[in-house]
Amino acid sequence: MTNKVIDSTNSENSPLSSSREWSQTGLRQLLMYAAVGCVAGAIIALQIGIMRIFSEGSWAHFGSLVVSLAMLGFGLTSAVMCLARNWFERHWFGVIAGSLAAFAPLIVGANLAAQQLPFNPIFLVSDALQKWRLVANFAFYLLPFLAGSLFLGTVFLRAQKVFSRVYFADLLGSGLCGLLTLGSLFLFRPDNLVLVPVVLAGIGGILWFVGLGSRKWAIVIGLISIAAGAIHIHLPGAAKISKLSVSDYKGVSYARKFPDSKQQYEGISPFGHLEVYSSSYLHFAPGLSDNASLNLEEMPANAYLGLYVDGDGPIGIMRELSDKDTAYFHYLPMIYPYLITTKPKTFVVQFGGGISTMVALHSSSNVTVGEANPAFLKAFRESAVLKNFTNDILNRVSVIPYDGRLFLANTSERYDVIDLSLADSAGLSNPGGFAIVEKYSYTQEAMQHYMHALSDAGILSVTLWNKEEPPKSVLKLFATMAAAARANGDKDISQNFFVASSYLSTVTVLYKRSGFTAGELTKLREYTSAMSFDEIYSPGIKVDLAKADHVFKDFHDSIFSADISKPGSQIESTDQEPVAEGSTSEISTQTGAEVGTNEPAVDGTALTVPASLLSQIAWQALIHDDWQGFSKRYLFDVRPLTNNHPYFAAYVFPKDLPKITDRLELFQDEWGYLLLWATLAIACAAGLILISIPVIFGWRTAFSRYPGKSQTILYFACLGFGYITVEVGLIAQFIQALSNATVSASVLITGMLVFSGIGSFVSDKYAHSARATLPKIFVGIGALLISYSLMLNPILNAIGGLPYAVRLICCFALIAPPAFLMGFPMATGMGILTRLKKESMFLWAWGVNGCFSVIGAALVPIIATSFGLAAVIAIAGAAYLIAIPAFFGVLKPINYKINSIT
Amino acid sequence: MKYVLKKFTFALTLVSAFVPVLASAAVPKAYTYDMVPPMDNKEAFVEWMATNRGEDKKFLSQRWDRYQALIQRNDLTNEQTKRAFLMTPREEFVRKISLTHSYDDAFLDIGFGVTISGPHAVSRMTSVLDIQKTDKVLEIGTGSGYQSSILGHITDKVWTIEIIKPLAERTRGVYDGIIAKGYTEYKNVNTKQADGYYGWEEAAPFDKIIVTCGIDHIPPALLKQLKTGGMMIIPVGPPGAQHVLKITKEANPDGTIKIARSDIYNGRVVPFVPFTKLEGDAIVGSHNK
Repeated sequence: MTNKVIDSTNSENSPLSSSREWSQTGLRQLLMYAAVGCVAGAIIALQIGIMRIFSEGSWAHFGSLVVSLAMLGFGLTSAVMCLARNWFERHWFGVIAGSLAAFAPLIVGANLAAQQLPFNPIFLVSDALQKWRLVANFAFYLLPFLAGSLFLGTVFLRAQKVFSRVYFADLLGSGLCGLLTLGSLFLFRPDNLVLVPVVLAGIGGILWFVGLGSRKWAIVIGLISIAAGAIHIHLPGAAKISKLSVSDYKGVSYARKFPDSKQQYEGISPFGHLEVYSSSYLHFAPGLSDNASLNLEEMPANAYLGLYVDGDGPIGIMRELSDKDTAYFHYLPMIYPYLITTKPKTFVVQFGGGISTMVALHSSSNVTVGEANPAFLKAFRESAVLKNFTNDILNRVSVIPYDGRLFLANTSERYDVIDLSLADSAGLSNPGGFAIVEKYSYTQEAMQHYMHALSDAGILSVTLWNKEEPPKSVLKLFATMAAAARANGDKDISQNFFVASSYLSTVTVLYKRSGFTAGELTKLREYTSAMSFDEIYSPGIKVDLAKADHVFKDFHDSIFSADISKPGSQIESTDQEPVAEGSTSEISTQTGAEVGTNEPAVDGTALTVPASLLSQIAWQALIHDDWQGFSKRYLFDVRPLTNNHPYFAAYVFPKDLPKITDRLELFQDEWGYLLLWATLAIACAAGLILISIPVIFGWRTAFSRYPGKSQTILYFACLGFGYITVEVGLIAQFIQALSNATVSASVLITGMLVFSGIGSFVSDKYAHSARATLPKIFVGIGALLISYSLMLNPILNAIGGLPYAVRLICCFALIAPPAFLMGFPMATGMGILTRLKKESMFLWAWGVNGCFSVIGAALVPIIATSFGLAAVIAIAGAAYLIAIPAFFGVLKPINYKINSIT
Repeated sequence: MKYVLKKFTFALTLVSAFVPVLASAAVPKAYTYDMVPPMDNKEAFVEWMATNRGEDKKFLSQRWDRYQALIQRNDLTNEQTKRAFLMTPREEFVRKISLTHSYDDAFLDIGFGVTISGPHAVSRMTSVLDIQKTDKVLEIGTGSGYQSSILGHITDKVWTIEIIKPLAERTRGVYDGIIAKGYTEYKNVNTKQADGYYGWEEAAPFDKIIVTCGIDHIPPALLKQLKTGGMMIIPVGPPGAQHVLKITKEANPDGTIKIARSDIYNGRVVPFVPFTKLEGDAIVGSHNK
């Protein structure tokens, strides 16, 4: 160490006089601020990296769980530092040097170790070992977060006098490095993504020691980081260990095992890791009628490529087929709208892998497609293989290179057919559950836009997987479409819908603005019957509602009852016919011609499966505007999707959660949601312990003489909770305008943190008048957030119609006011603790803030799925208002009198 | 491509380490389709099987306990399937690492992203198929070989196809091993590695077809190879949380063909995933609260 370095052994105990390293000026000081920014940025980069690694290797929601809990490392660090503050004061240099030296190796080591111990989510319930593997993953990934938080905690401890500036550097670094990391996704595959935090940690360490004047330490940190990076790059190959273990149960793992499989395309970007495989073993025909086996000569061979995004899939890419081979289109449910239209002008809301576009091309005069994921468009435009295979499909249609929903909301064009088929959805047998994802293409508002964009005789066709038993998502779709029709002014919607499904396959809802004609209904019914599909709703359909009680009870019992049903036995408790065989159709085997019956599926003799009967009952409720009555009787939450509540998820009512703990496998598709509750429970328990430890163990030395402890907890809890709630909530909402979750996350992370950093920096000027100014700031934040919760939806929808660059500017403009103000309270509060010499509370407050950030992050999707996204922002606003009275507790000076008496 | 094959070879070498070690004793008594173990007494069953089949009494005891649970839960509903369950050594088809869980009420990992279904699932699907001695049965998705071995105890006409080559080879090895040991009934299980999507045309038509792998539609070729009057069973959904689709192909009096979808309990809503477990001799869990 050179003599320019602050000698930690000579430092005094008081933090106010010991932070001489922060008394430097000029470039060196700047380098140290930059170092804080880089390390904070490395932590953000590591979070994003781990999320991506889990997305690729297993499933993203497990990554959320691990990252959220690993962030409790901040709480743990603050608790330890709070208890041993003096020790950290004395050994600050060693702690900082050690944490910086260990940071990069821990990132690499933890990741490689975790990859050698992959856990298998689908056995999480049945195999106790898997839970321990998940715990081990968490423990490994916690380690680098501990190193990072130890550095930041020690820096904060030493920089109390200039906290607002250091905090500014922390936020600014996090924001910019978050953006940098998302940009780096264009360069790094998920298996190499940990190199980004390694580089940032290395740069941070070098800058820190250069700032301090220690060239030797700067070189050491640089060499350690380079070594860590080299180990990540070379060790797995040399030792034949995995850099990123991909679960055998991911779709891409199967594709890779097919004997003739070949990777035809690979693209990396923030929009996902795209891979396309060819194999004769790939077969797609979503919703194909069983009757294809009777009338179709043969299915076209080698007709598909499998597209995988982050290892999930496949999404089918269809080869341009000969006229003979396209005969099988007739047996796909996507053909429905084309049965009653002639060469329509068609809009496909989401291109995806292009199957419904291919069907549309063969039946339409003109096809326009929307696709919000630029990586998909890039693949189809740039890959020679894909272009050849699909006969350059994108060149044969008009492409809207963003969300079809936003285009239709803002266009004066009118279409004869608007198709939304199986968008954003996984197939029938995908394991691992689904994360809570906003589905703005399926909301009531989106459906209203689609309906508006139809020509006078236009048809909206929506096809969804019908894969749940008891039904869940299809009921939400039904309710959403009916609500949209009513919101568009159709008082009587009985003539506007036709719905057909295939049991445990797909469901298709057709909406016609002007109502279906008798001739059209005949065609649709004949086709439905000839395909062995179930007729769920058509104008005039007869449904025996007397069976409703039985169906509701049976579905409820299938999940919640203690009884087990007996195979083949008659159904008890009702006088109804047993609800038995699936609806059928008759096909002439002699001629191959279709001889469908026009009889409705349910007529007392032709019985249908309960799921189909339930759907029929659901439509009767919708036609008679009694969805509330239906919902009250059903076991799951089937409220329609709206822009405020855009989720095909969280079907289990929170009150029922305790009842399902012994049957979690029945809810595999809900694991993403259930994991949030688990995260919340663990975060609350861990947070409580971490917050309590310093109070309990520091009671005699410090806390007993600190007045306003509970208000201080409340203050920093509100800040931690409020901030993360706004950030996560707005990421979800801004997708509405920005069409893409990755872009929305980039804009929000960068915008929020940078503007808050500026706020933090500016807050310094008002530090001495905080008692008067901060309550006003809080009122401003609360008012802004509550007004955002009320008005954001229509504003974002309007922004969605603007050119993309303008959209981005508008979004940043929306973020700036609250984010700027939200930068004030944390820095001001910490500054006050410093000025009042509540040193023990300083780090503790930082930990409280961190713990409630984790709790808030887990709570946001739970609030959003239960009460809506507007409620999320409003609750965050309320949290900032609650912080006003708590703030006056933070301002209470230490009562030395009490201390001296005790 | 070469890399993929190398990976397979490597994986195969690794996985083969987990294939259960075959018991050393040969099967004392040759198999016949009319041999029936005692089905109403645990001790008698264990003794009979140990004497006639030379199997480990520890596993036989576990098999009997699971058998009782399956009967109580109505997963086993006909005599031929009950007998097949009791006669099939499930422990031979699980990986060594999972051997102690052979008779747990759970699906187990067998590598390659494939599971061996739980005893409840196999029993229920086989019961529903109601296979007769004369039936020709096709299985798509051989996997561990356990399902086809159950089938092999009911009929001597079983065909099974596995798409994953190293798994197909491994399971063929398991079969060859136990056939060599004396389980001659498994000689009637015909295996091949191929894409099950196209069925087994040379052996068609089939009375019953059981598909045990996920797909977004029913392969038309399989429906074609199903006899009129036949039945097909397909579980739909992720491993461990599947709903079982039953497809029947019947002739109407006028010669037309009727294809119907329902679930395996003729439309009844039933929870497919077990909630119960056996503790000692008692079944505990939500079903008998």
